[in-house]
Amino acid sequence: MTSPVTIAATVAVLLTAGHAAAQSNVVKFGVAQYTTNSRTNGISGIGVPPGADVETGDATTLILEYERLLTPHLGIELAIGIPPRIEARATGSVAFLGDDVFSARSVSPVVGLTWHFGEPGDKWRPYAGLGVNYTKFTDIESRLASDVDMEDSVGWAVKAGVEYAIGPRWGLFASVTAMDVKSKIVASGATVLQSTIDFRPVVYALGAAYRF
Amino acid sequence: MTRFRQALILLTVSLLAACGGSDPHVPGSGSPVGAPTTPGSFTAVVSFGDSLSDVGTYAPATSLAGNGTAPYFGGKFTTNGAAGTVWVENVAASLGLLATPAEVGFAGSSVACPAAANPALAGTCTAYGQGGARITDPNGIGHATGALTVPVASQIANHLTRFGSFRDSDLVLIWGGNNDVFVKFEEFAAAAAQIQAEATAGLLTADQANNALYAAQTEAQAAMKQAALELAALVRTGVLDNGGKYVAVVNLPDSGDTPFGQSLPASARQVLSDLSAVFNLWLAEGLTGQPVGWIDARALFKSLLADPAGAGFGNATVPACDAEKIDALTGGQVTDGSSLFCNATVGAPYYGLRAGADPSTWLYADGVHPSTGGHAAIGNAFATQLAAFGWL
Repeated sequence: MTSPVTIAATVAVLLTAGHAAAQSNVVKFGVAQYTTNSRTNGISGIGVPPGADVETGDATTLILEYERLLTPHLGIELAIGIPPRIEARATGSVAFLGDDVFSARSVSPVVGLTWHFGEPGDKWRPYAGLGVNYTKFTDIESRLASDVDMEDSVGWAVKAGVEYAIGPRWGLFASVTAMDVKSKIVASGATVLQSTIDFRPVVYALGAAYRF
Repeated sequence: MTRFRQALILLTVSLLAACGGSDPHVPGSGSPVGAPTTPGSFTAVVSFGDSLSDVGTYAPATSLAGNGTAPYFGGKFTTNGAAGTVWVENVAASLGLLATPAEVGFAGSSVACPAAANPALAGTCTAYGQGGARITDPNGIGHATGALTVPVASQIANHLTRFGSFRDSDLVLIWGGNNDVFVKFEEFAAAAAQIQAEATAGLLTADQANNALYAAQTEAQAAMKQAALELAALVRTGVLDNGGKYVAVVNLPDSGDTPFGQSLPASARQVLSDLSAVFNLWLAEGLTGQPVGWIDARALFKSLLADPAGAGFGNATVPACDAEKIDALTGGQVTDGSSLFCNATVGAPYYGLRAGADPSTWLYADGVHPSTGGHAAIGNAFATQLAAFGWL
């Protein structure tokens, strides 16, 4: 289990890591569209008609990123967001069951390394990152099953973005992050249904950056 | 950079910790644990269940004189006759034991342990299974027309009342739930017919009809879950907690494979098949980790039906009993061909088999019950399982 305590400890260590250099910390705050492009291995279980499937939807949320610059070009970054609620709708042979057959909040921190192109002081600085995403699903709700369990997911995350400097400290940013989020889901009600959902999320973010 | 490395290590450790132990629990995927593995010294076969385990509860309903007195021409849900034993009797006989009905009667009058008329046999009335019986609901199939249908819950309670507890020398065999399947399937079928009529009349859209069918099916499945978990609880608190040591629980065969199941439209047959599977799933879940022997009758029947000829059955689809003969024999009172009234004694005036039917090589007696040969095969298969547990 990754508890908030271990995440907080990690952040604390990151904050004190390295020597203090001018403006080697960046905080970003913004709005993000969490989109999914889900694929499943179908739904299996007693009483499930062939061709039953689900598809997950999109959600908008707020994100916070903290980056510690290790060099003028390389930083280590932690990104978290207010967990968006992702809804799933029934598709295929059970499409008649409609929207929101289950939903869950996705708690999905990403830790990674970011490479900044250009030089400090440039007006536009594109960046690219590679990291690890850990996703835990919480507050799972379903009108079709009394008990839904979802497996935690650990996978890669890749990011591309650009920063626009308004001044020495403030800037704007836009980024796109693709992640590998896969979860085995077991829904128990009258019967027991199983599926593995590959969410294939892409997160589009936009916001402000502050250096200190 | 040392601190940075520390940070990376901490991060890696916390992420690895996150990977562990998150696989969701899948109900029904566990197994019983801790049943005996050494042979028992059995002095009684104690069986609980329904018509499949009924060794003659309703014999008086088949009185030749028509007044409840012997002789009887039927009484078991199989091809009745001198050789017409059911699996419980077969397993008991293989152990050199006798299992007689715990209660015999019909239409409001019944006698507990009639075998006790011979004091030497007083301990043999441990076959509690009754045709129509459900797990906890006393209103079993046929109850309204006179069948006792004492549910499995009461069967176990009655045994405890008589004997106080289970003994190490009891071979306890529990096989119930089929009638819960049939009752809930009939309710589903009635609801489905109504939904389809409304859809045909244009009162429901296709989506509305599908949702209503889904809801009806889910309701039936939920009833299976409840019945199966109730049976599992009865096994735990009624049998194991009261001294049951050699306790075998049998799951349900696929009702969709019976002649009755085969007679249904494919979609309805699937619903029926799923109901017995859902029952089995929750029964397995309720008995996970419990010290019982688990007999997978669904698998055993599937295996037999995959190659009936290999198991000695030339006919595994047509009931051996002739519904028209039984109808005539009972003066039109039994029209469904129930094997309770089916006798296989060649030449007897109450002979009830179809032309050409052989009770030892035709698997089914009626739409859902096995013939004498079917019960012999079941008894053998279950005894093989009991031997595999190390109990025999």
